[in-house]
Amino acid sequence: MIELDSLSCHYGDKTILNNISLKITNHLTVLGANGSGKSTLAKAICSLVEFDGIVKIDGNDIKNLAFKDRAKIISYIPTKLEVYDRYLLVEEFVLLSRFAYKSSFFDYSNEDKKIAKETLEFLELSYLLKQPLSSLSSGETQLVLIAQALVGQSKIIIFDEPTANLDPKNSKIIAQRIKSLKEYHEIILITHDLNLASYIDSPVFFIKDRKGNYFENDFFNEENLKEFYEVEFNSLVLVYD
Amino acid sequence: MIRIFIWSLLSFVLIISPFLGSVHLNLADIFNYDTLTSNIFFNLRLPRVFFAFFAGSILSLSGFLFQNIFRNTLMTPYTLGISSGAVLGVGIAIKLGFGILAFGISTLSAFGFFGALLSVFLLIYLAQFLKNTHQESLLLLGIALSLFYSSALMVIFYLGNSIQNDILIRFTMGSLSVIGWQNPLLLSLMAFILFVSIYMYRFELQLLALSEEQAKLKGVDAKKVILSLLIIASLAIGVLVSISGPIGFIGLVVPHLVSKLYPLSIEHRIFKTALFGGLFLVSCDTIARSIQTQGELPIGIVTALIGVPLFIYLIISKQG
Repeated sequence: MIELDSLSCHYGDKTILNNISLKITNHLTVLGANGSGKSTLAKAICSLVEFDGIVKIDGNDIKNLAFKDRAKIISYIPTKLEVYDRYLLVEEFVLLSRFAYKSSFFDYSNEDKKIAKETLEFLELSYLLKQPLSSLSSGETQLVLIAQALVGQSKIIIFDEPTANLDPKNSKIIAQRIKSLKEYHEIILITHDLNLASYIDSPVFFIKDRKGNYFENDFFNEENLKEFYEVEFNSLVLVYD
Repeated sequence: MIRIFIWSLLSFVLIISPFLGSVHLNLADIFNYDTLTSNIFFNLRLPRVFFAFFAGSILSLSGFLFQNIFRNTLMTPYTLGISSGAVLGVGIAIKLGFGILAFGISTLSAFGFFGALLSVFLLIYLAQFLKNTHQESLLLLGIALSLFYSSALMVIFYLGNSIQNDILIRFTMGSLSVIGWQNPLLLSLMAFILFVSIYMYRFELQLLALSEEQAKLKGVDAKKVILSLLIIASLAIGVLVSISGPIGFIGLVVPHLVSKLYPLSIEHRIFKTALFGGLFLVSCDTIARSIQTQGELPIGIVTALIGVPLFIYLIISKQG
């Protein structure tokens, strides 16, 4: 369970999030316009940005958690991954999620390697094992990022616009993966993809004017969409089921 | 095949290197310890090859380190002004007269270290104000600082007397010439420390090469790791520069060549970079010593002639 207590975020003198309090009991979908602070909220939960207020995970203040302990609890999947090391292989990349579990200065254990290998098998990605991460397509990269999060065995997984760069078919594959993860993980999904959001069917947190509006359910109707996005919707088109 | 060829060539040069130079050695006299030949061989040539090897390792490893920490192939202690900072530190020490003292070496090294360290801190401090997060801005910042340090060195020239200036000019041209084993052994220790540190932090470095954000998310105390590695690199660079003066482009050329030769992730390139860098600088130095001129060609000229074209190529190829 994640608790946000009067969370505020500023970049310079610009306020991004203002005094947000929220209890995330299980899953959450975060919606909002570009620049509304969705990613900032996610990064605050991971303690990647400076913030005022308190973020607690299962009762523990995130600021008091050691780097490695935090890594064991939360995974954050970015929209895009810049890879400087062009020769980093997929198998090496997913193994990096075991960093928090291995002893300092030593190599990854066989147990770690086994978990990485099995996770890739489970997601049917074994054929990518020996390929450089930088050579993958956007769809494959997103799948490998999911694999990497699973290898970390964290309870909470945050997806930051997972379908932003994907074609409809890959979006569907990713959507189904994310939904299946809801059973064992707490999923926080940030997205502009309303088809995805309604398919994932978690409570919605809509950020507008630096404040959040929480909907336990029933967010996806035309009045709400019109009110919050300020555009007319007819119907959502892509079917993920 | 090409790997075997390149390694054999470099190793061959390493073996013949001590026998080449401005003074021709009579092979029969090498183990005849009273002769000049033996003296030159064991107290000048061998230490020099040894020194060049570890200098090359340090330059290559720190280039490799900077490139992965800052995620840009153009980042090296030389291009980011860390070398110039060390040179300025040593310049100040020479101006203050420490260079002429008997224990001069260690004082110069200390000044070189602090010069390098202060330039690293200044660079990091200024970098946090960069609005533009593109790494090219950091490079420009480094180049600007480098120009500043060079200008400051000019002031020291202007203030110095002719003896100090003579030492300074020779120093800034860069030279791998050493007498005896003290400096080579000191440098081998520095190279060893740098290598071990990078190796110990190889997985942290792999994560940092993705992004600082990814590293933090996976449990790396990114600030601490970056700072520790940069301080250790500054120490190695500072000590090296205080003895040899600035030697450019090795840190740029060698990691690039090694990644072409071994397209493997960074974890598997650390040792190869150190070894290749050592052999590469020994080869450059052998070229510098073998070209028959009045004396020998300054090593910086040889490395620049090889390095600048590659530097330009890397800048152009990055624009795609």
